[in-house]
Amino acid sequence: MFKNIDGYVRSTEVVEGEFGLQERTRIPLAMVEKVRNVPGVADVSPDIQAFARIIAKDGKPLGSEGNGPPTFGSVGEDFKGALWTIVDGRFPAGPKEVALDEASAKNGKYTVGDTVKVVAQSGSREFTLVGIASYGDVRSPGGATFALFDVETAAEFLGKPGFVDAILVVGDGTRTDEQLADDIDAMFDPSDKVETLTGAEITKETQDDIGQALSFFGIILSTFSYIALGVGSFVIYNVFSISAAQRQRENALLRAVGASRRQISRAMLTESVVVGLVGSVLGMLGGIGLSSALTALLKGLGIDIPSSGLVVTASTVVNTIVIGVIVTVLSAWLPARRAGKVPPLAAMRSTAIEVAQVGRTRTWIGLAAIALGLGVIGAVIGGLGTSWLGLGILFVFGGTIVLGPVIAPPVGRFLGTPAAKLRGITGVMARQNSVRNPKRTARTASPVLIGVALVTAVSALAASIKGQVNDIFTEQFKGDFAINFQSSGFGGLSPSLADGLNRIEGVESATGIGTLLVRIDGQGRLLTVITPSTIEGNYDIGLVGARYSDLDASGIFLSKDWSERNDKPVGSTIKVTLADASERTLTVRGLYENDDVAGNRVVSREMFAGANVQSFDFGVYVKKTADADAGEVRAALQKAVDDYGQGKLLSKQEYIDEQAGSVNQLLGLIYGLLLLSVVIAIVGIIITLLLSVFERQREIGLLRAVGMTKGQVRTTVRWESVITSLFGAVMGIVLGVGLGWTIVFALRDQGLTSFQVPVGTTVFIMVMSFVVGVLAAIYPAWRATKVNVLESLVTT
Amino acid sequence: MNSPVSTVAASAVNLSKIYGSGDSEVRALDNVSVDFATGEFTAIMGPSGSGKSTLMHCIAGLDELTSGSALIDGEDLSTMSDKELTTLRREKIGFIFQSFNLVPTLTAEENILLPLLLGNTEPNKAWVDRVIDTVHLRNRLSHRPSELSGGQQQRVAVARALASEPHIIFADEPTGNLDSTTGTEILTFMRKAVDELGQTIVMVTHDPVAASYSDRIVFLADGHVVDEMRDPTPERVLDRMKNLGN
Repeated sequence: MFKNIDGYVRSTEVVEGEFGLQERTRIPLAMVEKVRNVPGVADVSPDIQAFARIIAKDGKPLGSEGNGPPTFGSVGEDFKGALWTIVDGRFPAGPKEVALDEASAKNGKYTVGDTVKVVAQSGSREFTLVGIASYGDVRSPGGATFALFDVETAAEFLGKPGFVDAILVVGDGTRTDEQLADDIDAMFDPSDKVETLTGAEITKETQDDIGQALSFFGIILSTFSYIALGVGSFVIYNVFSISAAQRQRENALLRAVGASRRQISRAMLTESVVVGLVGSVLGMLGGIGLSSALTALLKGLGIDIPSSGLVVTASTVVNTIVIGVIVTVLSAWLPARRAGKVPPLAAMRSTAIEVAQVGRTRTWIGLAAIALGLGVIGAVIGGLGTSWLGLGILFVFGGTIVLGPVIAPPVGRFLGTPAAKLRGITGVMARQNSVRNPKRTARTASPVLIGVALVTAVSALAASIKGQVNDIFTEQFKGDFAINFQSSGFGGLSPSLADGLNRIEGVESATGIGTLLVRIDGQGRLLTVITPSTIEGNYDIGLVGARYSDLDASGIFLSKDWSERNDKPVGSTIKVTLADASERTLTVRGLYENDDVAGNRVVSREMFAGANVQSFDFGVYVKKTADADAGEVRAALQKAVDDYGQGKLLSKQEYIDEQAGSVNQLLGLIYGLLLLSVVIAIVGIIITLLLSVFERQREIGLLRAVGMTKGQVRTTVRWESVITSLFGAVMGIVLGVGLGWTIVFALRDQGLTSFQVPVGTTVFIMVMSFVVGVLAAIYPAWRATKVNVLESLVTT
Repeated sequence: MNSPVSTVAASAVNLSKIYGSGDSEVRALDNVSVDFATGEFTAIMGPSGSGKSTLMHCIAGLDELTSGSALIDGEDLSTMSDKELTTLRREKIGFIFQSFNLVPTLTAEENILLPLLLGNTEPNKAWVDRVIDTVHLRNRLSHRPSELSGGQQQRVAVARALASEPHIIFADEPTGNLDSTTGTEILTFMRKAVDELGQTIVMVTHDPVAASYSDRIVFLADGHVVDEMRDPTPERVLDRMKNLGN
């Protein structure tokens, strides 16, 4: 990103909040000339990167809110280290001109000479497009949009007049970057509070920031890959059990002619190492191919990723292969041992025999694990730390999987009843077959169980959160309309929007609620910003013994909870440092109860008036006068919002639905990833069915001989598959609902009070698992009809 | 001749079955023509590789013919689709195999009624009861095969073959896996089925004692019908087999 830059001068003052939020103090524009005069400096350029949203010709803002690539306003000027090269027109000059990145110009359907509307912190404004620029060799970096201005305009429009974020420096090559940075630093007094980084340092820092922002994503992905691995190991276990069964006679013969148990087992383990290696390498190549395809897809969608191509580190390669092989070998361990235990006499026996004893120890171990898990969960509910919850859940899951073979026969028989009733003798056989080998059925159903349990739990959690969100806004939001901005900490609505709306006829009050990043006791904290004069009767944060009007420029409201935890009663003072390094001493003027939206600390907009800081509103809440016509007010509001350029006007109910709906995005992600476990589950069922068909060749041959049609053979296999799949789903739903309830209960301190069973999802899962059963049976059923009747009858 | 009015239950007409081709060609059956009369117990005998099992499989619709035709109740099997053959086996043919006759997950009763259940046909209750009583299985109906002795399992197989009142029953070494006492018992039941219930049975066997329960023996060697014998005794059969061996 800073590849042409040799030095980067910026303030040492920074406020860093959670989730990678940070705001660095801006430096005076006058410093630019000071740096330019340092010997060894060839060229300098002031840098500003702030929120600015380009409104396309059709009136819609470019870029997505909240979770898309960011939308920037920046400085575009002729500079030796320039990241921007003009491809059409020229760089902007003066307060009326703008340049756009190439992709934005194309997507916004703008050509040089057009009038372009841009929204920033200070409001929306129209500019004349004088130039189109490209960023290095891509049309726009990473899908971000850029509106470029000259320095003065950028400072005034995007931030504060006379201030910039940093100074970019290009050296003349007479000294090293380190030397140059030291020389620049020497120019400044410590009281100036600035530092100079080399180009390499600022590049690394930027990459680290991005890495940190992606780490949360990484954790989610790792979690799912562990689930996939766990689920996959069941399938591998089944595959090796099948191999062992198919080679029983062969192995028995080897034993009869003198092979030791260990040799048989070792042969199988060696095979698993090879399978693990091949599988891991193929999987890794597939993954690399997939991400290349993704990059190409993003490029096709207009999101260029300016990087030196896909990065595959050596550790990724090693980890993938080592973990893949270890999981495979571990999964093959028991089947390999069992293969070794085959008695030499088995060589004389006919086909592989389905062994189906379920030991009593298994029952006890399973029950004990579940009891232990429930005990831990009970203790958590009783007050033990929430971190123990995971352990309890793990025990319950493990116990259920151990207990699977014990539960499979009764549950399978019950689930098979409709098949037996509807399908006559083929249904009866399917039902019997599905519980014929309870261990195998349970093992096959386990991937389904795990996937379904997770989906159910997450759905239950989401349903509960949605219910909660609904309750919160219904109770606290007293107005009629809201203008919403999906913010993830970068940008938002200009505070000027609310001011404008208040002038509309029929509007009793329009009040913006926003955020401000400050430092309290050395820690970055987000304050909630309100306008006391307009929030009254519009949005209720549940003040206790105080009024909104009590909040003056030197005051702060605290949530009851935070006030108690930090021992800050009404009347005490809190010192905060703003992002421009100025300090305020705030007096606690009152406490409030509803901290769901307002967070823990609320200040008035007046508190930081005139300070060089960024503050955006995430929502503007509007209450109409009692006698105003809702339709007319809405039309007037819509016009104002359209003029402004961004934000979404919603009725109260629409707003509530949208807030609750944001949970769906999370759900979408989780469902998408869990699809993976569904695929593995299908593969698992296919493999098990193939094994069963293989083992029952003679039986199928006999049935065909005495008059079973191919269709009936398929029906039998299909219903067996459906029963197995449904068994997993039913167990998964039971576990998932329990898990969801437990999590919701554990989060009751976070404000989750009502547990809701996701009925729709549960029904959907049952239908889906039925479909999965039918799909998985297609190939095995076809194989079953290919059984040669004569061969299976004649073979002895 | 026991049956005065003899009709044909099944027959092979110029039936040939060839495995492989060229140098590796094996003629399992070479232009075989043979009739099986209704109401008769016929045994097919011959040394290993004589084609006796192949003949039975071809006439029973379990194997495809290379040329010629096989007829069951006047219908030509060589022109039938897999589905038609399946229906034919279910409705007109009863089977008794040497071993693995029963579906392990089904009860004895379900196994007996299997062809009827597969065809969704209402069993003839009186007939089924009579069959069950004939093979003495009344008190074993709810048992699964694993809970039955080898003889009992074979009796269930006999009952299944009879239950659908088939046109003809094919038995492939039905006593091959049984001790002689139990084998005798099964053969007695089969004899009874012909004498008392009027069934038609074709049995493949290499055991002269088993063959002696039949009305007529067809001898096969090298894919040809080489001889026939009526009202056999074990001694005569053994004698004849020795000659075949030469």
